[in-house]
Amino acid sequence: MTSSTNPSATATPLVIKHPIEPDAEPAVRLKDVRLTYETKQGALLDAVDPTSLTIRAGEFTALVGPSGCGKTSLLRMIAGLTPPSGGAVTIFGQTPKEAQHHKRLGLVFQEPALLAWRSVEDNVRLGLQLNPRETHSPTNVEELIEIVGLSGFERYRPAELSGGMQQRAALARALAIDPPLLLLDEPFAALDEITRELMRYELQRLWSVSHDPRDPPRSAVFVTHSVAEAVAIADRVLVMSPRPGRIIADIPITTPRPRQPEHEHSDRFINDTAIVRAALRSPTTAAVPLDAA
Amino acid sequence: MISEPIRDLDHLEPTTGRIPLSAPDVRPLLGWIVPPLIALLIAAVAIEVWVRLAEVSVWVMPRPTGVIENFFSEFGRYFNEGLKTLGVSLGGLAIGTAAATLLAAGVAHSQVLERAVLPIAIMVKVTPVVALIPLFIIWFGHGWNPKIAIAALITYFPVLINAIAGFRDVDPRMHDYFRSVDASTWEIFRHLRLPAAVPYLFASLKISVTLSLIGAVVAEFFLSGQGGLGAVIWIEQNNLRLEQVFAAVLMLTLIGVTLSTAVVVAERLFSWRLDQPVTAS
Repeated sequence: MTSSTNPSATATPLVIKHPIEPDAEPAVRLKDVRLTYETKQGALLDAVDPTSLTIRAGEFTALVGPSGCGKTSLLRMIAGLTPPSGGAVTIFGQTPKEAQHHKRLGLVFQEPALLAWRSVEDNVRLGLQLNPRETHSPTNVEELIEIVGLSGFERYRPAELSGGMQQRAALARALAIDPPLLLLDEPFAALDEITRELMRYELQRLWSVSHDPRDPPRSAVFVTHSVAEAVAIADRVLVMSPRPGRIIADIPITTPRPRQPEHEHSDRFINDTAIVRAALRSPTTAAVPLDAA
Repeated sequence: MISEPIRDLDHLEPTTGRIPLSAPDVRPLLGWIVPPLIALLIAAVAIEVWVRLAEVSVWVMPRPTGVIENFFSEFGRYFNEGLKTLGVSLGGLAIGTAAATLLAAGVAHSQVLERAVLPIAIMVKVTPVVALIPLFIIWFGHGWNPKIAIAALITYFPVLINAIAGFRDVDPRMHDYFRSVDASTWEIFRHLRLPAAVPYLFASLKISVTLSLIGAVVAEFFLSGQGGLGAVIWIEQNNLRLEQVFAAVLMLTLIGVTLSTAVVVAERLFSWRLDQPVTAS
């Protein structure tokens, strides 16, 4: 399915795809990954218990859990930003460092974290300019800005935009390098409720946009506090226990795509959120058997 | 679907995103200039009246009108000597700032370098620079070099400390983003640390630009053979010609104001332009 946005002569037209590919190389594979901090007093503090997990290519996985349970730590270990204390992380069969080098990761944080001195367009371009030898096909930045709804604001600086618009720019920056894996750390937590509800469906749409049809379908790991957000957009919700964090439930969300905001009023949605909430409330019981990888 | 920007965007130019330069409103500027000028005028009039009424000796306190008269009658001399002082000051500022910025870039990246270098930098800073002038004369001779060295030495410290703070004051999430695309240390420096440090560098320049002038004048006291306003002040006070001393001080004040203003203007022009990226498409 090809998008209707203007393809340019210099860039590959955007394609939309989101089927999960069970036979493809998994997007993320965690094998007994754990994280232990050493406190200033020298005591060891377990942040993440040994965790094994496989996220398939094309799968949108949400990670929910109470504050401080290690969701962000787990995401940072996947991104290669925090080295695990033990175990192994692979991204499409590569180490996180290799995945970084080949620009396979698209990071979005809770705050937009844009360069204040650059315009929206130049911020979106940033990932293409850094480590330029690994920039594959020319990305049509103008088209991407249009897709995230920032047309006309290309030359504005971040401080001149609302929080929601800044977060759209951060999403466009993450997508500009056309990464097969999006890593999102509570990207909408700082937004107001209305914008937040809009953005989850925007994200669903943007996640499935890719430039290169040969790429594997894009996967995503989405850390959130919001059960509704997780159920609304994910194919699978992983529930983490309080610290030391471990995955205590793996709940599939089978609602077909593309999902619409109206879906949140359906019995299916209400039922799914109830299952996730129940798993969060009884952190010792796994609602569904865990992935055996 | 697009949420509205939180700020009024009417004043912006969508094609550039920069706040357009409208006809400058001089009223706020006058508000800053007129009151101190009036205060200065009142002080000058008060001194003039006091000197005349109390018949204060010209060797103790000259009349302000006499100083102004002398300033304009010997303007060429003060201007030329002022240029020499300015040259020493700017030379020292350039060398001191460049050395401090380079050192700060190294220190910001290496704790070992920080531990090795910072104590020495602080030792040099707490040592009165004047005490080193005789040594500098031995090492660098009697020309411009020892004077520039003094001005450089006096300016480097504020730049060093501010630049280290600036190079380190980067958003950790931004740093994470750079790492996530395997940006090199140079790319992180060029596109993140350096632009983030610009406000810090300008803050330190505002301090060090006047310090460099102090360094230049003090050095000229010791090395009066090559001229400069410091030399003029030194020679004229030995001759008890206080009108000339005050006129030279007035020229120094004008140079100081000009340099400080230049830093402020440069900050406005420059601060957002340091990270102009190469357009890729």
